[in-house]
Formats: sequence, structure tokens, C-alpha cells
Amino acid sequence: MRFSEALGRQVVSTSTAETVGVVDEFVVDPRRRAVVALSLKKTDGGDTLLWTDIAAFGSDAVTVTSADKIVAAAPAIIALSGKDHRLVGRRVLTSSGDDIGTVDDVEFDADTGAITSLLLAAGDVAGARLVGVGSYAVVVRAK
Amino acid sequence: MRLMRASEIVKRPVVTMRGEDVAQVKDIVYAAAGGAVAGFTLAGRGMFAGPLKLGLTWRAVAALGAEAVMITDESVFEPTEAVLSDAASGRAGGNVLGSQVLTDAGVDLGKVIDVIVAVGDTVGGQCDVVGYEIEASAALGTKGTKLLIPLPDTIAASASHLVVPASAQGFVAHDLAGFGAAVLAFRAQLEGGG
Repeated sequence: MRFSEALGRQVVSTSTAETVGVVDEFVVDPRRRAVVALSLKKTDGGDTLLWTDIAAFGSDAVTVTSADKIVAAAPAIIALSGKDHRLVGRRVLTSSGDDIGTVDDVEFDADTGAITSLLLAAGDVAGARLVGVGSYAVVVRAK
Repeated sequence: MRLMRASEIVKRPVVTMRGEDVAQVKDIVYAAAGGAVAGFTLAGRGMFAGPLKLGLTWRAVAALGAEAVMITDESVFEPTEAVLSDAASGRAGGNVLGSQVLTDAGVDLGKVIDVIVAVGDTVGGQCDVVGYEIEASAALGTKGTKLLIPLPDTIAASASHLVVPASAQGFVAHDLAGFGAAVLAFRAQLEGGG
């Protein structure tokens, strides 16, 4: 699944069938090369849904067992959030110091949260090559 | 082998593998013999612009690319004095800009306007000074054109002159694309012919 498809998706509680939030942003841990949490908007309190608290990342909605899975962001999540840690729209540098373009979109595994590839105009970069995401650039291992 | 003009390396950002631009190249520090890059002095980025007291030795550089100087993290920085102590004292390298390039046969080839360095593909390889960009003299054809002239491993240099083997004249190039091959051919010829 792509980030662009998943943004704006409703988060639905399976116990109440209510919409408890909307996917606003992906929180990625570059060391684990995976989505570790979702930042949500339109919630009743709290803005973070940890990946491990998701019941299912379906093609039409994200489900959770209850609205209390949506919590305030822990410091570890805050450290990985914000525009400096976003992938889409960012400059991509290889570990050899070359600019290879901009991240257009990100493909991830809806079951595990693993980043499978970064989509660039110049071609896809395997998620396994992700090294770091910082304020200047997304760094990927040179081939 | 990848070639770069020294002037293009100046101001290039220094980026950690975590994607943070923690400094930028202020000046290139050449090794004592002037034949290789010993490291860089650094300046801050953005609102922290201005010289830093920290420098980067070449062996701490993970990679030098077209866009950035890559390092593992800020822990590889060393005090600027430590980087400078590895460096040239008025010899070839730092102060060659404007120097006159003479062949050992006494022909003036022109004035140095840039230094060409080569970066190997292997991490930890040398950053070799392989040539100069010169503003050509009449001896090299059209006076005032920019040409690239290959250098041997070591050259004789003073504050005002740099002396290269006369055969270097046969290996000049007009752009970086063809210059790598010219440097290799020139050095092979020096080793072979003596």
C-alpha cells in the first residue's frame, strides 16, 4: 500500500463501529525501516495510534478494538515526528553523497508496517536501503 | 575514480547518515606534500553560519559526493588545529591558486585557477590531487582558455611556481569527462618512461 492511498483513511473502532480518527501522517523509524505509528486527526483526544495497536490496516479503513488505543504521543514517537522526519517530498541523498531526487511516495506492507520501497522519479529505492531521515535529507545506502 | 573541482567542494554540506546537515565545508586542507586532501575546515549551516572550531580529517569522511560530504555522525569531528597540523605549510595545495605552472623544460603553461581532486570508490581511499585547471598561456594554444593539466604523484612547488614534467602538455583535457583517462595515461607514461 502507498502512503498517498492511506492518508485520510478513517480509523474505525470495532467495538462501537464509530469513526475515531483519520490518518494524518505516518511516523517512520528509519532504524527499523518501518511505520511505528500513525498520527491521527479528528480524534476525541490523543493523536497517536501505535502500529502495534492497529487491529487491521484494511483497504478501506484502519480498525482498532477501541478508541482508547489512541493516545498522546510518547517522547520516542515525538522524536520521529514532524516535518524533519517526513519522507514524502524530501530530498534523497545516497550514502556516497549524491542527490538522486525526491521521495514522491512510499510503499509499505500493510500487515507489518515495513517500508518496502521509496518511490522516486528516477526509480524505486528498496526500503532496506533506508539509512536515515533528517532535517536535510533522507539518506539511502548507495548501491 | 571520480573527479571534482576543489572550488565545487567548498560550501558543500556535511551530512550525517541520519540526514542532518551539521556543517559545511569552509576550506580544503591539503596534506603536506600537496598531493592529497587531508581534510576540511568547517563552517556552520544556516543561522549558525560562521567558522567552526571543528574540522574533518579525510579519514573521517564516509563519502564525498556531488551533493554532500557524508559522515557517520558529529563524533568524527576533530578540533580544527588537529586537522591543520596534518596539513601543508605554504606548499602546493592550499595556496596554488594564481601560481604559474612551468614545465621542467621551462615553458609557461598558464595560471592555476582550480585544483582537481579524485575520489576513489573505496571508503577510506585517498582524495588525490590529480590536476590543475589552468588559464592557458600562449604555449598551450588559445591564450586565456581554461584547460585541465594532469599532475604526477608529487610535484615541485614554491609560492609562485609549480613545475610539471613537459610531457604533461600532451595530456591536457578540456573537461572533467575526459580528464580521468588523461591523468591515468599521463601517470602510466611517467612510470613507464621514467
